[in-house]
Amino acid sequence: MSRDSAPAFEERFLEAFSNAVGVSGGEESVRTAVADAVKDHVDTLEVDAMGSLVARIAPSGRRRGPHVMLCAHMDEVGVMITGIESDGRLRFRKVGGIDSRILVGQVFRIGGNGLRGVAGTLPPHLIQRADRDKVAAIEDLYLDIGAASRAEAQERVAIGDYATFDTTYERWGDTRKGKAFDDRAGCAVLASLVRSRPPIPVTAVWSVQEEVGLRGAAGAARRVAPDLAIVLEGTASGEGPGLSPEESAPLMGAGPALTVQDRSLMADARLVDLIERTARRRKIPTQWKRPGIGGTDAGRIAISGAGVPAAVISVPCRYIHAPAAYLDIKDARRTVALVWHTLDSLTKEWP
Amino acid sequence: MKSLAASVDSLLPTLLSAFGPPGRESGVRDALRRALRGMGRVTEDATGNLHWRRPGKGPRLLLAAPMDAPGVIVTRVDGTGLARVAILGNRSPAELVGASLRFEDDARGLLGCDRPKGGKNGSELEADQLFLETGLGPKEANKRFRVGSVGAIEDRPIRLGDLWCAANLDNRAGCAAVVAALRAAHAPRYDLHVVFSAQSDLGARGAITGAFGVDPETAVVVDVAHLDAKETGGAAVGKGPCLGLKESGFLAHPAALALVKRAAAAARVKTQWLIRESEGSDARAVRAARTGVPTALIAIPARRSGGPVSFVHARDIAQTADLVARLLQMPPPNSKGGRR
Repeated sequence: MSRDSAPAFEERFLEAFSNAVGVSGGEESVRTAVADAVKDHVDTLEVDAMGSLVARIAPSGRRRGPHVMLCAHMDEVGVMITGIESDGRLRFRKVGGIDSRILVGQVFRIGGNGLRGVAGTLPPHLIQRADRDKVAAIEDLYLDIGAASRAEAQERVAIGDYATFDTTYERWGDTRKGKAFDDRAGCAVLASLVRSRPPIPVTAVWSVQEEVGLRGAAGAARRVAPDLAIVLEGTASGEGPGLSPEESAPLMGAGPALTVQDRSLMADARLVDLIERTARRRKIPTQWKRPGIGGTDAGRIAISGAGVPAAVISVPCRYIHAPAAYLDIKDARRTVALVWHTLDSLTKEWP
Repeated sequence: MKSLAASVDSLLPTLLSAFGPPGRESGVRDALRRALRGMGRVTEDATGNLHWRRPGKGPRLLLAAPMDAPGVIVTRVDGTGLARVAILGNRSPAELVGASLRFEDDARGLLGCDRPKGGKNGSELEADQLFLETGLGPKEANKRFRVGSVGAIEDRPIRLGDLWCAANLDNRAGCAAVVAALRAAHAPRYDLHVVFSAQSDLGARGAITGAFGVDPETAVVVDVAHLDAKETGGAAVGKGPCLGLKESGFLAHPAALALVKRAAAAARVKTQWLIRESEGSDARAVRAARTGVPTALIAIPARRSGGPVSFVHARDIAQTADLVARLLQMPPPNSKGGRR
């Protein structure tokens, strides 16, 4: 494999991973899909105690370059069934950050057997006038699976079952639509990279429970003890009506987004500089993620052990943490290329 | 004590004006390296912490003092030559109005605010109501400032009698006290590791990695604590260093606290208690490092002005230096563990 040509972004993985269900703490289906994609191309593959999938690639011959941890999280935001009412309606709670305004009327996929339900609340004509413009509190919502009684509901669902948006992957020109692009986009970028065996010692981690507090990456980082880390994300782009391009940045379709700072991390300045120089050299367009918001696994990895230089490279996505996200397939391809060439730069330019 | 006071007075202005927002501590690191010149090896770790070590026969003692100070990061440069910022560290937007800023490449700016709407008062400012006046036109501003540019408060310390008035006293005052103590302490009874920690204002991140790296048997954190009459009871600026009993995420370890108290008695330094709920120093991170570290907190009392500047009494800093210097000569606590 020539180091000069970056591997392709393998879209079939994005489709498979996006369609798989993996709400935080219940990532099995995604983990299986990722393991199937990479198992024949890595030197070791294991699942750690938290549930993260850890793959190592040791290039043959003399060790060259630092030991890099690449990390993408498998989990997605969703809900968990917390109660079954006597009339068969399901109570639920959020897992991870979902905007309450988007819940009412959504179709959810519940559990692993293709069960579907609708998030309902009071019908409009029975809502008090004063409450009509308010967002329904989660206590006032339920999932309706069409069951008429608790007993009937219990045949198909159990307390503790997860549910996620019922969305199927689609292609429209360069735009891709699907659920959980945060962070199945990163998972697919990482799988594409790993299958081409980067020429540098790499430990790839597909982490769990990012959306509920960056939990999986913390343990993985302690075990992997890398020299540096790059986290691969699907991050929110900021387009909206009435906003200028500066206000909206990063934009979908304008290249991978680089992080200087977010609420979890001050990205390592030398590493960000190396990534930026690599992008310029390879003519890959990049943009800056807006500082001051969000947080990623990189924040936990950076404070692991005696400290790990860390950076984040993201595919900008519209409508993350919502039923259907969009991304531009060109950005996914550019992200694979940028990470690949960054790994190459690291073999030469990292002390 | 007099020589310690002189030492602090000569160190502090340079440290106060050194560039060092969280995660971009290069300037203050350089200032500390110069202050420690000729005193042994200084290293830097992945988080940006500065480590200084004096190997010795006694137990491994970590002396930790945060060195970063709040700053801002540019979130966008709008079409008019102004920039918008997010705050790096524990400062409210209202406290930064009027602050003069210096950026990494020496570009400068001044923070103003859009007047709060809807009858809100100034203390309810949101960070995105702050704007950075660059004094440059749209074209030039876009060249000098980019998303991610980090700025520090350009500190011009004023001394009113015995009172220091400056923006970066938290925790450059603690750094000055530690350096002065190291200069004065000739033969410490410890295997001494000093960490000037980075990114403390972003959640004690430097203390987390620094303490992990050092793996100390006992630790003492030296920081500045802003007093709040409601919370911190009788403690006051000018009445001596505070010993931390409890703060957010931290309870003092009895053996480490006893060591500090013995040092204070030996140095004849009067101390006060610091008990608070809302804020935390690096002590919480050091205390919980690895399998837990017996940790004490010495905090220099400070008062807020409501704007960029705080007030700290010069004698409190000198006494903190005296206390730390004496502590390094004290016989070590009996063993790791203790009662708690």
